Order: sequence, then C-alpha cells, then structure tokens
Amino acid sequence: MSNFGRLLGYLKPYRYRVLLAVFLMMLVTLSALPMPRVTQFMIDTVLPQKRYGSLWTVLWIILGLYAFRGIVSFALNYLIGWLGQRVVFDLRYQSYRHLNRLSLSYYDKRQTGKIMARVIDDINVIQYMITGGIVTLITDILTLLVVIPVIFTMSWQLGCIAIAVVPIYVVSYKLFLKRIRAISVELREKWDALIGGLQEKLAGITVVKAFVREEFETQHFMQTVQDNFTLGMVQAKLNRSLGLVATVIRAVGTGFIYWMGAKMVLGRAMQPGELLAFTGYIGYLYDPSVRLVDFNIQAQWAGAAMDRVFETLDTRPEIVDAPDAVSIGSIKGSVEFRNVTFGYDPENPVVHDLNLSVEPGEVIAIVGPSGAGKTTLVNLVARFYDVTSGSVLIDGHDVRQIRLETVRRQIGYVSQESLLFSVTLRENIAYGNHDATPDQIEQASRNADLHDVVKELPDGYDTKIGEDGVKLSVGQKQRLAIARATLTDPRILILDDATSALDSKTEANVQDALERVMKGRTNFVIAHRLSTIMGADRIVVMDGGRIVDVGPHSELVHRPGVYKNLYDEQFKSAQEEALAAYLG
Amino acid sequence: MRNMTRLLAEVQRYWKVLVVICLLTLTSAGLGLPGPLIIRYLVDKLVARQPFNIAGVFFLLVGVAAASGIVGYALTMCVTYLGQRFKYDMRRKLYAHLQTLPLGYFEKSQTGKLMSTITNDVATLDQLISGGFVTLISDVVTLIFVLFIVFNMNWYLAVWGLCVFPLYFANYFFHIGKIKRTADEIREERDVMLGDLQEKLAGALVVKSYAKERFEVRQFVGQNRNLLDLNVGQGMLGTRLWTIAEFIGSGMGVAIIMFVGGKQVMAGHLTAGSLIAFVSFMTGYMYGPILRLIQINDQIARTNAALNRIFGMLDTEPNIKDAPGAEALAKIQGAVRYEDVWFEYEPGQPVIKGVNLDVKAGQMVAFVGQSGSGKTTMINLLSRHYDVTGGAITIDGKDLRGVTVESLRRQVGVVIQETILFNTTIRENIRYGRLEATDAEVEGAAEAANIHHVIAALPKGYETRIGEEGIKLSGGEKQRIAIARAILSDPRILVLDEATSALDSETETLIQGALDKLMEGRTSFCIAHRLSTIVKADLIVVMERGVVREAGSHHDLLASGGIYAGLYNQQFKVALEALPQ
Repeated sequence: MSNFGRLLGYLKPYRYRVLLAVFLMMLVTLSALPMPRVTQFMIDTVLPQKRYGSLWTVLWIILGLYAFRGIVSFALNYLIGWLGQRVVFDLRYQSYRHLNRLSLSYYDKRQTGKIMARVIDDINVIQYMITGGIVTLITDILTLLVVIPVIFTMSWQLGCIAIAVVPIYVVSYKLFLKRIRAISVELREKWDALIGGLQEKLAGITVVKAFVREEFETQHFMQTVQDNFTLGMVQAKLNRSLGLVATVIRAVGTGFIYWMGAKMVLGRAMQPGELLAFTGYIGYLYDPSVRLVDFNIQAQWAGAAMDRVFETLDTRPEIVDAPDAVSIGSIKGSVEFRNVTFGYDPENPVVHDLNLSVEPGEVIAIVGPSGAGKTTLVNLVARFYDVTSGSVLIDGHDVRQIRLETVRRQIGYVSQESLLFSVTLRENIAYGNHDATPDQIEQASRNADLHDVVKELPDGYDTKIGEDGVKLSVGQKQRLAIARATLTDPRILILDDATSALDSKTEANVQDALERVMKGRTNFVIAHRLSTIMGADRIVVMDGGRIVDVGPHSELVHRPGVYKNLYDEQFKSAQEEALAAYLG
Repeated sequence: MRNMTRLLAEVQRYWKVLVVICLLTLTSAGLGLPGPLIIRYLVDKLVARQPFNIAGVFFLLVGVAAASGIVGYALTMCVTYLGQRFKYDMRRKLYAHLQTLPLGYFEKSQTGKLMSTITNDVATLDQLISGGFVTLISDVVTLIFVLFIVFNMNWYLAVWGLCVFPLYFANYFFHIGKIKRTADEIREERDVMLGDLQEKLAGALVVKSYAKERFEVRQFVGQNRNLLDLNVGQGMLGTRLWTIAEFIGSGMGVAIIMFVGGKQVMAGHLTAGSLIAFVSFMTGYMYGPILRLIQINDQIARTNAALNRIFGMLDTEPNIKDAPGAEALAKIQGAVRYEDVWFEYEPGQPVIKGVNLDVKAGQMVAFVGQSGSGKTTMINLLSRHYDVTGGAITIDGKDLRGVTVESLRRQVGVVIQETILFNTTIRENIRYGRLEATDAEVEGAAEAANIHHVIAALPKGYETRIGEEGIKLSGGEKQRIAIARAILSDPRILVLDEATSALDSETETLIQGALDKLMEGRTSFCIAHRLSTIVKADLIVVMERGVVREAGSHHDLLASGGIYAGLYNQQFKVALEALPQ
C-alpha cells in the first residue's frame, strides 16, 4: 500500500490539476443525477396531464444536461489523460536516469529484456491504473456518497432493500479476491519467465543451432506458453464467476425493489415514475460495486508493476560521487593502486592487496591466465566498480573523491566485446566526441586501420550498421571500437584484449598506428598475443588476483616465472624454426 | 485485405469453438431483449394502477438476469479459450518457424523486435479475434433484433430516433483520419524509442565508458517528450470523438425520443411503458453497436501492421531446407571435400570464389587469413548455416544438400568466438551439448576443457547459476565452459572458430591439450589468429578475399616463402630478433 502512496507522490507537483480533476469528477457525478428525475417527471406529470408545453422543457433539459456533462467530462478526460502521460513521462525519465547511474554490476546480473520490461510495460500498467482505475474509483466513491442519501430520501424502505444485498456481494467478493490476487501474481511471474527465456534463446540462437536444439527449445518455450494458457483460463474463470455472482445479486436486489415498489405504487404510496427513477438510481449504486472488482484486479497488476519500478529506483548505485567530490581538470595520467582489494562479491575477492604505480605516459601491459584479474584491474581504473579496500589514485587523487564524469571523460576504454549501435559508422565513431570534425573521424578511423574498409562501402561513413545495415566482422567491429576510443583523445587509454580478433597483419597495422596514438598518454594494454605487448614500458604479470612480476620484456624474459613460461610456449615453435634456419 | 483472409484461415481451425461462441452470442443477445419489455409491462400496469402478478415479474427479471449471467459466463470462457488457444498456436508456429531461419536473419533483426512480434503482435491479433470478431457478431445480431422490435413498437418514433445517426457518422469520420495519423506517428516514435532503449541498455558498458549517461538521458527524454505530446494529442482527439458521440446518442437521441414519444403517448399511439422501453433500446442496444460496427474497420486497420509482421516472419523462407529426398547422415568418418565452392550472401558479391579442398578423415585443417577473407564463411557452409551457391561440399562423398540438416549438425560440433551461455546452472549449460549426458559425463567434459577445478572451487559447484542473479565468470572461463559443452556433444567433425582467442597462452595450452585429445580421430577445422596454435595442423589453408592462396603443412608453406611465411615472420619477428646471435 505504501507503493500507492508513493505513486500519489508523483502527482504532487500537479496537485492543482489533480484538485481540478476531482472537482470535475464531482460535476460529472452530479450531472448524472437529474436524468432519472426527468423520467419521473415525464411519467408522473407530463404524460398523465398531457402537458404538451412541458415536452419542450424536457427536450431542453435533456439537451442541456448532456451538453454540460459532455463539456465537463471532456475537460476531465483531457486533464486525466495529461496527468497519466505526464506521470509516465516522469517515471520513465527517472527510471532511465537512474538506470544510467547504476553501475555495471547491475547490468552484469540482469537480462536486458527484463530491464526493458520495467521501463516500458510496468510503467504503462501504472499509467492505466491512474487514467482508468483511480479516476473510476474516485468517481464511483463520489457517486455512492451522493446516491445513497438520494435513494433514502426517496424511500427509506426501498433504500434498505437496495443496501441489504450489498453485504452478500462483499462477502463473495472477499472469497474470490484472495485467489484472484494469487493467480495474478503467478500469471505475471510466468509471463516474465516467458519473456526472459525468449530473449535469451533468441539472442543465443547461434548456440541453439550449433547443437541442433531447435525442437527442444520449441518444446521448452511451448511449455511456458502452456503455463500461461492454463493460468489465463483459471483467471478468466475466477473473474467471470465473481461477475456472475454480482449479476445475480444485482438482479435479485433490483427485482425485490420492483416487487416492493410495485406494491407501494398500487397502494398509492408512490408514483410509478418515482419507482422508475429509484431503479435508475440503484444502477448508480450497483455499477460502482461491480466495478470495484475490476479495479482490484487492475490494482493487483499495478501493484506488482510498482514494486518492480520502485525497486529499480531504490537500487542504490554502487558508484556515486561523494558529496565533496571535486571536478578534476585535465589530468596528467599517473595511476596508482594502493593496497587494492576487490571482489564483485565482497566475500570472494578477485584482486588481493595490489600495489602498482604508473607514471604518466607509460605503456603498461597486463598479462596472465584468464581469471587472473586483468580486466578487473582496468575496470577499477575506469571506476566501473569501487575497490573493496585500499584505493585507486589518479594524479594523486583517490578516484572516489573525483566527480566520476570528469575522470571518465579522460579515459578511453575499449572492451573485449565490441558494442556498436544501430546508427551510421560516423555516429558510432563519434559517439565519444560528438563535436568531432569529419577529418578527425577519418584520422581516428585510419589509426584503427578501418578507413580503407569504410572507403569501399557505397555510403562510406554514412553507412548504417546493425539492423537493416551492413554486417561487420568481429575484427572490423574491434577496429571501430578502437577508432571510437582514440577520437576522444583520452589521457588514459585502456585496451582490453581489443585486438584479439584481428589477424596478424591487420594487428600489425593497428599496432603501428596505436603506438603513435599511445604517445603522451598513459596506456593499459591487455593482450594474449605477446607479440603485441612486448614493446610496453612495463609488463605486469598477474596470477590469482596478484601481481607476480613487473618489468620490461627484456627483463622478464630472462627470469624464470609465469611470463617466461607464457613466452616460451608461444614462441617455442618460432624459435625452433628460427634456430633451424640460423644453423642452416 | 489479403492479410485478413489469411488470418481468417488461421482462425478457421477453431470452427467448433466458433460455432459454440456464435450460438452463445445469439442467446446472450436474445436474453438482453426481455429486460426493457418487462419494464414496459411493469410501467404500463403501474401507470394504469392495475394489479398484476408482481412475483411473476420478479422471478422473470431475476431469471432472465441469471440466465444471461450464466450464458455470459460460458461465452466469456469460450472466448477466453479461443483467444488463449489462438495465442498459443500462433506463438508455437512463430517460434518453431524462427528456429528454422538462418543465422543471417537474426543478425539483421534486433532481438527486441522479434520478441515483440511473438508477444505483442500476437496479443494484438487476439484482441481483434476475441474482442473484435465476437463483438461484431453480437452487435449485428442485437441490431437486427432491436430494429425489428422498435419498428414494430412504433415505426414513426423509430425513424425519429434514427435521425441522429448521420451526425453520429459525420462526427466519427471527421475525427478518425486524424486519430489514425497520430496513431501511426506514435507507433513510429515508440519503435524508435524501444529500439534505442534496448541497444543502450545492452551497451551500458560503452555508454559508461564514454561518460555519456547524461547525453543518453537527454535523448531519451527528447523521445519521450515527443511521445508525451503525441499521446496527449491523441487522447484529446479520442475524448472529443466520444464526448460528442455521447451527446448525440444519449443527449439528442433521448431528447428527441422523449419529445416525439411524449406526443405519441399523449395522442394515445404509445403507452408510457413503451416509451421507457424505447429509450432503453435506443441508448442501450443501438447507438453502441452501431458505433462499434464502424469502428471494427479501424481495429482491422490497426491490426494490419501486426499481421504484416507476423506473416512477414512466417513467410521468410528458411534458406536451408531438407531436400525432399534428404536422408539422415549415418555416423560419418569425416572426409570433407570442397569442390569448386562458390558462395554469396548478396547476389553478385561472391565471398567464396571457387574453393577446392580435400580433407581426409581425422585431419586437422587451419584457416588463416585477414578478417573478411571468408574463413568463417567456409565453416558456416560446412555446418550448413548457408548452402553453397555453386559447386558442392561433400562429407564422406555425400553432398551436404542431400542429407538432413539435423543429422549433419549433430555430428559437427562448433565452438564460436562469442561465448553464449544461458541463464541456468553451469551443469545445465554444459549438458546443453548432450541432454542425456550423466553428471559424471558432464564433469568429465569440464575436466577435459580444464575448467573442472574452477567449477569445483565454487561454493555451489556445478549447481552455480550463471548470468542473471548468478556469478560473474571471466571471458576465459566462459569460453572453457563452451568448450566443455562442445566436448560433451562428441561430434565427428569439430569446428573451432577463434574458440581460444579469449584465453591466455597458458590456459590455451592446457585446453589445447584437451582439444588435441578430442581432435584425435576426428576431422577438425580451426580458425585462429595466433599462429602458434595452428602450426601443427595437417593442412593450413591461407585465404584471401574468398580464394585459397596457399594450402599445405606448416613446413611446406614456410619453405615456399609465400603469404603464410610472411605472416609467420611478422608475428615472430620479435622472437627471432630476441634470439641469441
């Protein structure tokens, strides 16, 4: 229930409009009241007394009444529509802004499809709740408040009968409600499972096909669809059963009123038109009660949706600027790890008490077996995660004391996976620097040995990639990611296995260009191919989350250890060949 | 309209339910009619103060209501069944069809849009079928009944009551064009927003790397601002349409009937009860159905986009289909021949140009070449993700196009560059390679892929969930799980497409040992940029722009001093320089 309160909080900035809406709702409610009286007037006065002149009055009253009602309800609907859309807008904006604040660990653990569902579907459900549910609820309550006194003034005996059946209705409603709720929750879960599975298996279709699991997957998918089918039927059954009960109770109530009323009319205690008007009013009494069911079902859905939306909004971003964080100007690029320990899950550290000091302009290569913590180390420099203990310093400032944006803008990060967007090549390259001139873009592209590829495309840099666009090979994607990173002219450049998919020749070209780009910057390079990192100023050898050795290639290669083993392994055959050639 | 015919053909399958629904609808419409007539009787008796069977009226009212409630219940259940059943069948059809489509189809479509077709578009159709069609039947039936009744009661009054309809139509057609246009705009804007959202959430790493959070939020706000304006505009149009319609129907219509009908009553042509019944027939049973009838057209138009997407998907022909006489490939030896193979993704742009290769059973083949030279395509042709456009590929002398895809792929194990694991336990991920494998076999495969000790060290071991809500694995760990999965499937032909690129040399060496064992007695194809991993191949194939430039063993190629020798020297230049002189 507190969620509903919180949702109402979103209406607070628009409280005057909300007040106006409630006022309009009252007018709409009141405008419905005279109509049964008009009928009464016709039956009891105009017709028996043959008052031809009054017919005109009736005509104008009806027209006036509906014109008034039309105008008011138009204004009301417009206002409510606006409010609903506005709250959607605010919620979406907040959610998305918040999602952008959340650190990568949030995304590591969630499927994109499910995050999307929150931003889109759940918020839509909330909107329906506001525009449909809440308005109807308020109008209904207002109507009840007005109608009950009206019917009791008309005839308290009939009023009692009308009210008498309501408890039966309430009891049956309570009986059903629990099950309807339970089924709604279950249905929602099953639906989520369906969406999640669908997303995963469509995104991973390569694997499905490679293992010829198409039929298996289809069956699996159909099982979840089947579950939804079964639950949907149960839900319909429950809803309709309750609906049936409501209809019968209502008919019984109305029937009794006609019975009693007819007796009163025949006994001259009531006018026939009055009875008609009365039955008109009890419609206003029963309709809202029945609608309350719909509202409740809707509220169930909206409640679940709100839980998820607010849960997202309540997820604390792990990386936030400290209140006293300072903006940092242009950095020199020295990086220091001071007793750094880090675990994605604090219980299981993957980096242990690590110390490393990097001078501005250095090229640092990081090697080591997979799982050694190489990517984690560079992620800490870019502050995608915060250290568990110790600190990472850039230019002597603890990164947690610097405004995140100011430091990240000066870091160029090329990740293992090249993520590109469905826009043109130009826009992809310029993603980090929208103000780049075409010349700069071309230069960045040359640096990554991509320009020749782009030149051959009919639309050049304006070629769209991704959906409906050209397909790039993994190597081309990597080169694009490198071009994108160099275009921002970062002070610190991080290449996390950024050239793994390039063939040796392309890599050599990219390498030459990168050497130029790396000049004057601090560079972190992770690569498995040792040939690409031997030129580094220092090579950091990691194993099991610790630095086991540091030094230039010329030193490390002569020291027995992890690096030498790696090196020997990779170059054994080459050396044998070379030796063979050398010895003739 | 062709879409509609097709949709009807899809619905035809449920004719039994449809017949029941029609009958129930008729009954339900019929049961709605006595209400006003009972009231007429009641009012007339009351106005005349004539005693009548009050209990009879009571039971009639309650009886009709109960009957109509029960019929309504049955009707809803049938309609729900039809709707759910339709969605079920349609989703099965779409999903099963998607599975037959080539990888190229998925590369070109955003996952989000495919999902939306299977979920939202199908739901839209269901709304038309269980909402639109059923109401259509019930509305037409009701309309006919009611017209008959009201003209019978007093044709003069009926004509007057109907005279507001031209206004009704005018109002509708005045608004609908604009509403439709706005609806299209909203849809487009929404699609753009959804596409961007999906991409930017999936690419959160890039957004964060470039500190573009605020930029993205601004973009998103801009799109949503447009949507807000469009939606509010649309809401206003809709509200105006309905408000005016209500005024015309309930206001003008009733006013006219009361006025004209009042005169008729005073003149003795009509009873007061009939007048009341008249009003309730007109407002309750005519204006509504007529408005809905003109609307159905619209609903169909709206559904059309969904239909286009659904049928578009169903009509996409799988490029690989089993030939009519295709036979299942028996257990193969693994001799592979490429005979003058040509292939093009886009007509006129061949990417494989007349390749000939002869691979003996059990040999290891390595493809070398620049990105874009056609290495991956060669492998995709082998596992028949695409069919050759010229020439032929044979396994054990059998043309691939003559065997069933399933029997072929079951014997070709592929480990690809991008590691895709599913959101379940590690055990289930490995078992995906062979569903009937025992736990011991799963662990054996993990052992062979040199990942067992990593998994065993986890608190929950093989039951550890990966992906969402699960643990984070390094790229190399993921890759090794993928390799274990392939090992478990025990293929006759093994394909490694950059399978070890994310591994460091040491781990690669360990896995290579496992892979060497696995490759023994099997034909294997690998693509790797690191030459050290492929020097031991029986056959190294150097490709350039879709053509085989060199082929032979490491020693032969090195001795011939061609492209391979160049690549080799390039990569080992430093190593050679580092040699003691």
